[in-house]
Amino acid sequence: MDMYLASVLTNMTLIAFLALSAYLVLVVGEVSFGQQAFFGIGAYITASATALAGAHVFWGLLAGAIGGASCALVLGLLTIRLSGIYFAISTLCFAELLRFFLLHLRFTQSVDGRIIGPDGPEGFSNIRWIFENNYQVTDFLLLAVTCLIILLIVLFSLERSPIMLGARMVGNDPILAQSQGLNPTRYRLSFITLSGAVAGFGGGLFALFNTHIEPAMFGVMLGIHGLAYAVIGGLGSAIGPLLGVFLDIGLLESIRSLAAYRMIIFGGLVALLLVFRPEGIISPRLVSHLKSRWRNRHV
Amino acid sequence: MLEVRNLVKHFGGVRAVDGLDFKIQQGEVFGLIGPNGSGKSTTVNLVCGVFAPTDGEILLDGIDLGAIAPHNRVDAGVARTFQNIRLFSELTVWQNLWVAWRDQPGQEQGWVSNWFGRSPARRQEIQKLLEFSGLGDKADHLAGNLAFGEQRRLELARAMASKPKLILLDEPAAGMNSAEIKDLCQRVLAMKEMGMTVLLVEHVMELVMNVTDRITVLNFGKPIAQGTPIEIQNNKLVQEAYFGSAENAHGGVS
Ligand SMILES: Nc1ncnc2c1ncn2[C@@H]1O[C@H](COP(=O)(O)OP(=O)(O)OP(=O)(O)O)[C@@H](O)[C@H]1O
Ligand SMILES: [Mg+2]
Repeated sequence: MDMYLASVLTNMTLIAFLALSAYLVLVVGEVSFGQQAFFGIGAYITASATALAGAHVFWGLLAGAIGGASCALVLGLLTIRLSGIYFAISTLCFAELLRFFLLHLRFTQSVDGRIIGPDGPEGFSNIRWIFENNYQVTDFLLLAVTCLIILLIVLFSLERSPIMLGARMVGNDPILAQSQGLNPTRYRLSFITLSGAVAGFGGGLFALFNTHIEPAMFGVMLGIHGLAYAVIGGLGSAIGPLLGVFLDIGLLESIRSLAAYRMIIFGGLVALLLVFRPEGIISPRLVSHLKSRWRNRHV
Repeated sequence: MLEVRNLVKHFGGVRAVDGLDFKIQQGEVFGLIGPNGSGKSTTVNLVCGVFAPTDGEILLDGIDLGAIAPHNRVDAGVARTFQNIRLFSELTVWQNLWVAWRDQPGQEQGWVSNWFGRSPARRQEIQKLLEFSGLGDKADHLAGNLAFGEQRRLELARAMASKPKLILLDEPAAGMNSAEIKDLCQRVLAMKEMGMTVLLVEHVMELVMNVTDRITVLNFGKPIAQGTPIEIQNNKLVQEAYFGSAENAHGGVS
């Protein structure tokens, strides 16, 4: 496979984790501008675990996911009484706070003459896992796609369970959901935490693939992209965010002649969608509609 | 059954409910009426736990509802409809009922069939409730695509689905035409027949006077009269509150 194609596909896969994590927060009715921080935390943790502590990559990624989840849980607890714009702003502040922490994080080691470990704004270099294991870009792509497929399988089983139905109910109308016996706070906390785990895991993969990470990579623009992909794709199904990722990175970035105009086209696309399909391409309404048609045909 | 003692709710300076007392007997349809802004919906919200009371107590069969988290009140036996229709409009009629559904005590299904929603017995029960509500053929429709009257009926069905001890109806007749109101009268009477206890908040006198056993009238958050429909109709204070006297001209029947 063409190296360029493989690396674009890998990037899409990695960003898909971020978009899915934004999606999980949107499902419970909130907008987060902070998912990039969990992505970053996951990246740092996985990098430290594999490059510094010499942990197996599996444990490294797991630690990244747990780290992301823990930070998200803290955010969820801090914002337990907030919603709407107040919640959104808090996520942004919290994310910038975490990034500030990464900017000041320094514990480097010298391994075989190479400086390894977080070094403030310089970031974390020499995450050599893919070299040590002789991974080609295509090998890594395979790994990332496998992880994404496993995540999607989990999300789709969730989608068919009462948990997701409850989460959507809480997202649509917390007061009504509460009157039906659902605990909005618990749903929100669980989904925010889960979103942190997904972002943290994706961040871990990102660190392994990039071999160098720095706090500047995890700024708010990254989070806004992830959020935009979820919003464009629609909240009806976990396929939505993937579609969003594909439309932006897949279509726009792959047409190289458009590269210079990418942000303009992307912005225009978002604006058009907000006008014509404010609920995203794969909206909940569309999914419900398709499901009930499917059911009718099979009764 | 439901006992409200000295219930008070202030929103900042607004005394929405200001010292309300009443008792509802088992199997009774109890009316709560009053001019706009007199605190009826606030009372319903207090019973359901949407707001916490500033003061006072709400007891259901002797149990203090204040000690029960809002999301647990449906299992404690309280169900409601909303003044402004609230449905999960992107979900189907079936899903809207399914989330509210509680099995008859003693006939609970295990969590496995619960999880997959595949219990045939429960499916039949839900279908029966749909038929009762005149929605028998709409199970797979999106709630948001139903006609107004159907949405109101779905809300009522949803409240019944949880097998509550007490159903609170907040202006179920709002926006209905006279045929629909007649139908609703029959429905509420049928619910009473089945032994349900109902708190009915309503402006439409045709409904209130025909179905309630007793009525409490609220004005500015305070109870000003209590009695049977006939007594209330002939009460001077109530007439003043509704049709306005010299010092109170803001009320009105809407
Ligand atoms: N969430 C709230 N915050 C502030 N004030 C509120 C709130 N809810 C109700 N109020 C105020 O409390 C008072 C009582 O309102 P409530 O909705 O209980 O009246 P109501 O009797 O249901 O009237 P209507 O017949 O118009 O439905 C009103 O003055 C209203 O403005
Ligand atoms: Mg009201």
